[in-house]
Amino acid sequence: MSEILAPGNVVLAASAGSKEVAIRDAGVLLVRAGAVDPEYVDAMLEREQSISTYMGNFLAIPHGTEAAKGTIRRSALCLVRYDEPVDWDGEPVRVVVGIAGVGDEHLEILSKIALVFADMEQVQRVLDAPTAGELYAILQQVNEE
Amino acid sequence: MSATTAPAAGTTTRAKAIQVRLQRFGAFASSLIMPNLPAFLAWGIITTLFIKVGWTPNGILGGWGEVTADTWQGAATRIVDADGEFVTRYWGLVDPMIIYLLPLLIANTGGRVVYGARGAVVACVVAMGMITGSTIPMFLGAMIIGPLSAWVMKKVDSLWAGKIRPGFEMLVDMFSAGIVSAAMAIGAFFGFAPIITNVSNWLGDLVNSLADTGLLPIMSIVVEPAKVLFLNNAIGNGALVPLGAQQVAEHGKTLLYLVEANPGPGLGILMAYTLFGVGMAKSSAPGAAIIQFFGGIHEVYFPFVLMKPALILAAIAGGATGVATMAATGAGLRAPAAPGSIFAVFTATAQDSYFGVILTVLLSFAVTFLISAVILRASRKRDLAKGESGDLQAAIAQTEANKGKSSSALGALAGAAGGEAAAAATAKPIHSIVFACDAGMGSSAMGASILRDKLKKAGHGDITVVNRAVANLDDDVDLVITHNELTDRAKVHAPSARHISVENFLSSPVYDQLVAEIKAADAERARA
Repeated sequence: MSEILAPGNVVLAASAGSKEVAIRDAGVLLVRAGAVDPEYVDAMLEREQSISTYMGNFLAIPHGTEAAKGTIRRSALCLVRYDEPVDWDGEPVRVVVGIAGVGDEHLEILSKIALVFADMEQVQRVLDAPTAGELYAILQQVNEE
Repeated sequence: MSATTAPAAGTTTRAKAIQVRLQRFGAFASSLIMPNLPAFLAWGIITTLFIKVGWTPNGILGGWGEVTADTWQGAATRIVDADGEFVTRYWGLVDPMIIYLLPLLIANTGGRVVYGARGAVVACVVAMGMITGSTIPMFLGAMIIGPLSAWVMKKVDSLWAGKIRPGFEMLVDMFSAGIVSAAMAIGAFFGFAPIITNVSNWLGDLVNSLADTGLLPIMSIVVEPAKVLFLNNAIGNGALVPLGAQQVAEHGKTLLYLVEANPGPGLGILMAYTLFGVGMAKSSAPGAAIIQFFGGIHEVYFPFVLMKPALILAAIAGGATGVATMAATGAGLRAPAAPGSIFAVFTATAQDSYFGVILTVLLSFAVTFLISAVILRASRKRDLAKGESGDLQAAIAQTEANKGKSSSALGALAGAAGGEAAAAATAKPIHSIVFACDAGMGSSAMGASILRDKLKKAGHGDITVVNRAVANLDDDVDLVITHNELTDRAKVHAPSARHISVENFLSSPVYDQLVAEIKAADAERARA
């Protein structure tokens, strides 16, 4: 799990001015992790224009297009939790999970995040987690259950 | 969202059923042609530039140059001519692309639509048999044989599906597809290609006999459809040019040379797409218009008609208008205009006929454009329905799906195959579920894990739930779940599966409904 979503890639932030800023934030984290080329970030923005990646329950999962898969070096995720909701086409988003996925390695952790966010009680715990470390631990707990 | 108001069975008519079928056919034709448009354009560009009468003639690329000791030997190909003599010549790009590449691409797409990657491979092998078994471009053939051969493969596979000893599946898959497609390729070589060749000859004869009658504009009824099926050269060189030559010998000019070569109707269709089309068709039409009108490569507009067959009416009307104008003004061409570019037409125009020829091109353009515009406008809303991305293919598929569904209500009367499939899908037990999203890396994965979890908790862990990119969907699943904005595209790829749209992958009421439904179906079966 740590290889795909490294603890250092779980970040708490105050606010993002717009969803574009939030997507760039997530993209930069992926670039810095060495998971994607910078072009991938543009593909994330492009992908967002076609269909929103808002998933419901305060979660958005920006990722690149099918065509941009070539700019992914390895599968990785990053997670940014904002204190102030980001306006995501009118929906409030608190947690942004940036995805760079080739093949299936990232699906395991992604499905854990999905299960966490499908359960409103768990979502609340994620939103209330005081530190990035504790947030990371909540995601890991799903692992152990 | 794709809920259609199903008309009451009593009020439906046979006409409606035919309309449904035509729409389904149109959507199908579009799905075969649309993805391959860039290849048609590429061929058009190469042909405009490099053929003997092109803009920058090039014998090596165009395939007409003499091979001598001084010319480039790299592409010089040794072949056996009709007398059994070895000759060395340039093959070029023009002929191989239109004879092999374009029909193979269409067959490939047709096979893929029916039976995924496996169907595409089989379709290409079979199409190759048909292409090599004939002397004319096999576009009509490819549109038929591609989907057909994939369908046959699918049926053959179903004979032993699930009966193969574990571990041998791959071996059986390999050899069954290899043997079946080889057999079908030989069958197409001897059985199918001659049929298409005969149809082409027969159309030529028909044009011949029509030219003898006084009702020349009627020729367009044959010529225009034959053109868009890529039989333009068969009709032009096979029938009109020899006939025209006789007339030139007698009168010094003939209108027959402009029947097939008139660039007006094609330009009308392409300009109508430029203004009233949607998506990729709209954006590629202007470029195609330049290649068609100035370059004289009419082939580039054929796919635009093939993907909206109703437009053939516009082409026929425009063509007939052109022939009538020629007849009325007594205009004619001295020599064949080849290729049918406006420049070649003017070069070949008889001294006294410029007015008539210009009027012919203008009027046939105007008539075709107006009728095409009406046809495109009429279906534009449908094409755009849900097509916020301007995806014509998806929009048409949406229409198709809608029509197919409504026809299930009138199934008994219409007997539309699609309707029956839609009705059957709801009753079919669910074994495999696919979540699909655009890239297959995000939302679909999340949705799949949530539903998998719910099914497992409900004791149905045996049902497979996977996620994929919409583009990689195959038609071998029972149920496809997509974000509501992608459902139309998903239907194109998996037409026989049941489709459910969700708005929120995380907490959709659909999941619980689905689990309940599967449980109920199980209980039902247990009782039976």
